[in-house]
Formats: sequence, C-alpha cells, structure tokens
Amino acid sequence: MAKKSTGGKSYAQLSAELGEVMDWFEGGEVDLDEALAKYQQATKLIEQMENYLKTAANKIKKINKV
Amino acid sequence: MQDVVLSPSDFVALLNQTLEFAYPVVTIEGELSGFRISKNRWVYFDLQDEQATVKFFGTVYALPGPLQDGLKVRVVGAPRFHPRFGFSVNIQSITPTGEGSIKKAFQLLRAKLEREGLFAPERKRPLPPVPGRVGLVTAANSAAYHDFIKILNERWGGVEILLADVYVQGDQAPAQITGAIEILNKSSILPEVIVITRGGGGADDLAAFNDERVVRAVAASRAPTLVAVGHEVDLSLAELAADVRASTPSSAAQILVPDRTAELASLDVSCQSLKRNLATVYDRAVMELVDSRDTLTVQMTSRLNTTAERLHTLSRLVALLDPGAALRRGYAIIRKGGKNIRSVRQVKIGDRLSLQLQDGTIGANTTEVING
Repeated sequence: MAKKSTGGKSYAQLSAELGEVMDWFEGGEVDLDEALAKYQQATKLIEQMENYLKTAANKIKKINKV
Repeated sequence: MQDVVLSPSDFVALLNQTLEFAYPVVTIEGELSGFRISKNRWVYFDLQDEQATVKFFGTVYALPGPLQDGLKVRVVGAPRFHPRFGFSVNIQSITPTGEGSIKKAFQLLRAKLEREGLFAPERKRPLPPVPGRVGLVTAANSAAYHDFIKILNERWGGVEILLADVYVQGDQAPAQITGAIEILNKSSILPEVIVITRGGGGADDLAAFNDERVVRAVAASRAPTLVAVGHEVDLSLAELAADVRASTPSSAAQILVPDRTAELASLDVSCQSLKRNLATVYDRAVMELVDSRDTLTVQMTSRLNTTAERLHTLSRLVALLDPGAALRRGYAIIRKGGKNIRSVRQVKIGDRLSLQLQDGTIGANTTEVING
C-alpha cells in the first residue's frame, strides 16, 4: 500500500528523517556540496510523505471475538 | 414422586438437575447484606428485600470492585443446592444498580485504586505522534465505532486497525473488554496504542468502564492506552487509568492521528524553509568567494606597492652612485695608465695623468704632489 511508495518506511520514520535534515540546516556552518545533497534528500522525503498522505488508506482487521 | 424414596445425595442431584434445566441462569437484584471475602478468594453475601433473603457464593474474580452492605446490586448467577451448605446462587457477575449504589461503588473503587497509584500522573505515557498499528476495543456495530473510523479516515491513512469486537455494556462486557486488552497485549507485534471506546450512556450503561478488572487491564497494558467513554461529563475509572483520555470516540480519533490537510500544509512550509536554507548556504558560499577575492586583491596591491617603493628607493640610491652625476656636478675622474687614482700616494712628479670631466678628458703632467 502506501509503504511501497515510501521505500518500506513508515510515515513516522520519514518524518523523523526530514526533521534531522531540517535540524542539520539550522546547525550553523554547513558545506555547500553537503547542503545540496541534503536538500535533494529532503525533497525526496517530502515527495514520499505527500504521496503517502494522498494515497494511504486505513486497514481494519478484525481479531477473534473475545 | 412421593412414592419414590431418595437418598439425600440423590435428592440434591435431582434438585440440581431440575434447577439447571428450569433456571440455568437467573438475574436477581436486591440489597447487599452480609458481604464478606474469605481467604482473599471466596465471596459470600445475601441479597434481600422486605420479604426474602437469597444466599450467593462466588470468587473475587467476579467482583466489579469493592462492595459493601447496603448497596443495591444486580447479580447474574446459577442457582445450586450444595450438598452440605444448602441453597445459594453461584455468582457469574455483579453490577451495582441504582444511582446511589453505582456512585458509592464508584467512590469505593476509585479510592482503592488511587491508593494503589493507578491514576498517578507519572504513570502516563505519551502516545506515538503517528501510530501505524492500533488496537481498537469497542462494539463493531456501535455508533462509537463508526464515528471513530469516520474521523480516522477523514484525518489520516495507512493505519492498521486491529478491531476487537466486544460488548461495551452488560454483564459480559467487563470480561470481554479485559480479554480484548490482554489479547492485544499478547500480539506478536504489539500495537502502538490501544483505543478503548464507547459512546455516552446512563450510569448503568457505563458500568463496565468502572469495573475493577477493566480498570486494572487498562493500567497494566504494555501498549499505551487511549480511553474515550461517553461524553465530557461521564468520567470513568478506565479513563482515569488510561495514559490519555478523550471525551468522545470522535475526539479519540482526533487525538490519535494528525490531520493530513494540516500535515500537507506543514510539508509545504518545510519545503519553503528548505529552499530558504539552501539559498542562504549558497549566498554565504558566494559571499565567502567574494571576500576571498577582495582579500587577495588587497594583499596583492599591498605587495606590489611595497615592491614599487623598494624599487624607487633603490633607483634613487643607484642614481646617487652614478659617477656621471658627480662629473655633472663638476668633479673629475683622475686616471693614470687607465687606472683610477684615489690617493696622492699613487702619483709622483712627472706622471702622465688623464682628467675626465663631464664633457671630455684633459691630459696633464704632474708637477707637484702635496700630501694631506
């Protein structure tokens, strides 16, 4: 389902990774080459998260009647 | 029948067969009296009204919480005739009834569990911000279930709901809710949250959520719990024991998951922020380059100026050392046999000398040499 488009990662994992990149940018001295790589990584994460939000559906599984 | 002679054992067996056939289960409501617990396990009491008293017997596992004489309770049980102790009803479930009794039983249990620390704030655990796997304990055909799922679907997707369809009111409700919580806690993959919910109702309807077994199961859950029972005014003990409580099933769904519209807007903000951050890094890198170039230019200019000044000084010095300059000021270079004369001791009377001036050379004979 949605996890296919997120490379098997949960939304929470993607969100945590994006948070790390955002924090990295706030962390003072950053290298331009590294910044470009991080920016591309973040762009991909945002794309995956948007895709998840637009396509993921809830799944209900009934466990045995207790 | 009167012609048949029975032993006491046969009579008891026959009576029990008859009871089991005619009244397998009965529900009796009355005032509690003679309530006692023996060896922390066996429960004895009577139910009475103005005309009659009925004996009951059971185990503490059927108790909804602490009870005391005078409470009005409804007991479900099986009538039996014990060979030694006579008639009693074997308790299956007990539920306080009537506003006063429900309130009193609630207060007794609340005080007991509070003393044990089940409601302590320090026990509360946070719910995960975005749960992927959620246990849901509710009645699948209830409005509460539909409200919860509706709001959940409106707000978020990708959640795996493990639904335990249980009775949320009535005699069987406490055991079913407790069992569902235990089953979910024993899942091979533990749910990230267990939601226990039902809609509002009267005090009788909500009794299961004030049952000691349910409250203890909520408190003991390994997975964090979110309990939503009834409307804002109905606060149950299960809610007090939960990690997080919500006032309604809908608000439980709102607490459980973020809103995808808000999340999309937040992602947009993150995207803009990233662009600004990257632009800042780029601008900073460009500024560093410009600074480096300016620094280099200043350093090179300074170095060139210093060198030019040195060269000028040297050229002036060289100009001072130029013999032609001395000749132009009126001095002469004296030579003898092509060698420069620097001292009178190099000359004697009769020597032929040449005197170079700025504009030509004079030949001369030495007629006199004077020292000093």
